[in-house]
Amino acid sequence: MPARKQDVLDSIFYPHSVAVIGVTGSSDRVGYNLLQSIIHAGFQGRIYPVHPRLESLQGLPVYRSLEEIPEPVDLAVIGVNQLATLEVVEQCGRKGVKGVVCIAGGYKEMGEEGKALEERLVAAARQYEMEVVGPNTLGLINTRANLNVTFYPMQLPRGKVSFVTQSGGVGLTILHKAVDEGLGINKWVGVGNRSTLEISDYLEYLARDDSTAVIGVFVEGTDDARRLVQVAGEVARHKPVVFYKVGRSGAVSHAALTHTGSMAGSYQVYRQVLQQFGLLVVDSTLEMVAACKALAMAPIPRGNGVGVVTHTAGPSIVLLDEISLRGGVFPALAGSTMGRIKEVLGQNPPVVLKNPLDAAGQGMQAANLGPLMEAVLDDPCIDILVAVYCLHLNWRCPTVEILDARERSGKPVVALYISTGEKVKEERELLHSRDIPVYTTPEEAAWGVSALLHYALQRGGIRR
Amino acid sequence: MNVAEMLAAARSAGRRYLCEDEVKEILQRVGVPVTPCYLARSEEEAVARAIEVGYPVVLKVRSPLIAHKSDSGGVVLNLANGYQVRRAYRQIMDRVKGVDPEAAVTVQPMASPGREVIVGFTVDRQFGPVLMCGFGGIFAEVLGDVSFRLVPVEPDMARDMVRSLRGYRLLAGYRGIPPADEGALVDILVKVSGLAAAFPQIQEMDLNPVVVYERGALVLDARAVLAD
Repeated sequence: MPARKQDVLDSIFYPHSVAVIGVTGSSDRVGYNLLQSIIHAGFQGRIYPVHPRLESLQGLPVYRSLEEIPEPVDLAVIGVNQLATLEVVEQCGRKGVKGVVCIAGGYKEMGEEGKALEERLVAAARQYEMEVVGPNTLGLINTRANLNVTFYPMQLPRGKVSFVTQSGGVGLTILHKAVDEGLGINKWVGVGNRSTLEISDYLEYLARDDSTAVIGVFVEGTDDARRLVQVAGEVARHKPVVFYKVGRSGAVSHAALTHTGSMAGSYQVYRQVLQQFGLLVVDSTLEMVAACKALAMAPIPRGNGVGVVTHTAGPSIVLLDEISLRGGVFPALAGSTMGRIKEVLGQNPPVVLKNPLDAAGQGMQAANLGPLMEAVLDDPCIDILVAVYCLHLNWRCPTVEILDARERSGKPVVALYISTGEKVKEERELLHSRDIPVYTTPEEAAWGVSALLHYALQRGGIRR
Repeated sequence: MNVAEMLAAARSAGRRYLCEDEVKEILQRVGVPVTPCYLARSEEEAVARAIEVGYPVVLKVRSPLIAHKSDSGGVVLNLANGYQVRRAYRQIMDRVKGVDPEAAVTVQPMASPGREVIVGFTVDRQFGPVLMCGFGGIFAEVLGDVSFRLVPVEPDMARDMVRSLRGYRLLAGYRGIPPADEGALVDILVKVSGLAAAFPQIQEMDLNPVVVYERGALVLDARAVLAD
């Protein structure tokens, strides 16, 4: 990425000053909420609302124009309609603004007229060497800078995962689900119409962003998919990238004249080409969050051998199914491991001793699960453990045992606590703080584990 | 004429498709094994070509206006003698005269059966040239067992493409059937990838079916669409 673009993106994500154009006094309007979002997220830089007549808004003095602002402006967020936006972008250029967020739609997504308008927008930005987020975007968030430049006022927990989405609504879906899962957010951007900044530009920026450890990308479709997969493949060599490409059901949009043409529906090509470049591809927003959560919290295992310790067989069968489909294996346990298991469960327990290990009745007591988890984790073919427990009113979850087992073995552990997220909140926070992601459904636990296995194998891990 | 000149000539004649014999000519030049394909414009010529090729033979309609030959009744297989060749010639002409009264036929040897696959490429709107390998030859679209890779495709990646097919076990050997020549298929994939990279004038190309034998592989039919 050119140094100039990198600098401008820095100013966009870490601005010292933000101007908001199109503010109003009515909370029904986008402009009001743009300003409130910035204030509500606790932004520490200077905030300059701009309106030709208003005196003050939400406790801040209002400036009549960009020119009146007494200092340089790094980032301007523009909440006026698509025609007025063009004029404001010009003014931003003259003011020396580095980046603009253009919220309004009505550009190239609306046919020829809109396309011409967007070309003028891009020309104006280029003339002044500005970069445009959008147009037609919900905006962006950077929790590291207490920055929320969207019209959805909210406060998100800080974390290591950043998202780039081609839709504001899907962005919000992912962010809210991430918060429900106890996953902290680093940055989010809605790319909108990608007028001067492509998805690959944001990816390159996030690749160099030390506070981002994992990147999730939601794609509908792009013009330069070849560059996108090449950049993403390069980024994923040192920082996990998770892709969700929508459009599985999509009919081929051009009239295909060969069999190859008719079968090359863009989804299937997308999926396989992303995989060709070593990227993890997921099939839903839920899987996206589950995968990013595991990658952000747990270390990458040294191979793809999965062990499961449970007191209930069903969820472990779901785990087995979902993980096997995604390239994980469940190695048979070694004789020495079996010996240790029998020391806990007895020589002839009323359960079949195998991996996944279902301790049934005896496993309902957390104290019994501890030595079983330790035995399975010590098995030479096991690279990662899933500990399964169903929350109970009278019996405690094996949180202490999981922490001890994890500490002793050093291998990654994923917990499946079958419960509501709310009921295991405290235990979850404790486990999350110690690199152990906690899930509440077997599918999500499986997707998390599978994400770790994918990057284990991509990085030369042992294929069991 | 080199390949670029062939493509330019077809394009300047206002054509959208390349006929089977033209695609096979291109394939042959880059070392992809194809069944020979001789043009005939009359019953007599067809019989003469059939004798040269050796019975049994196949007759296929040859027209720049007809992309899917079987669909228009333009393919007759397994012809054992001159009488059958003449009758097939008349049948084909009768079926296609409404579409292209100028149509000819090609005469080709009847290939022995083997495991059928499809190889092709398309210039994807978002990715540029993408190579495809699929199972089932002419049934490929029904089976949907296909893999795609961005061009250029190196031999290792081509092998990975073949092995990622659900039907790979049928190639690798199954129930006492010996393995098919995976290397020959990989070689075709790499060469077709080379064509896709070298000739952006071609929008789409199908080699279908490609029959993979215990030793070697053979392209039985092919078509191509030129870029706008």
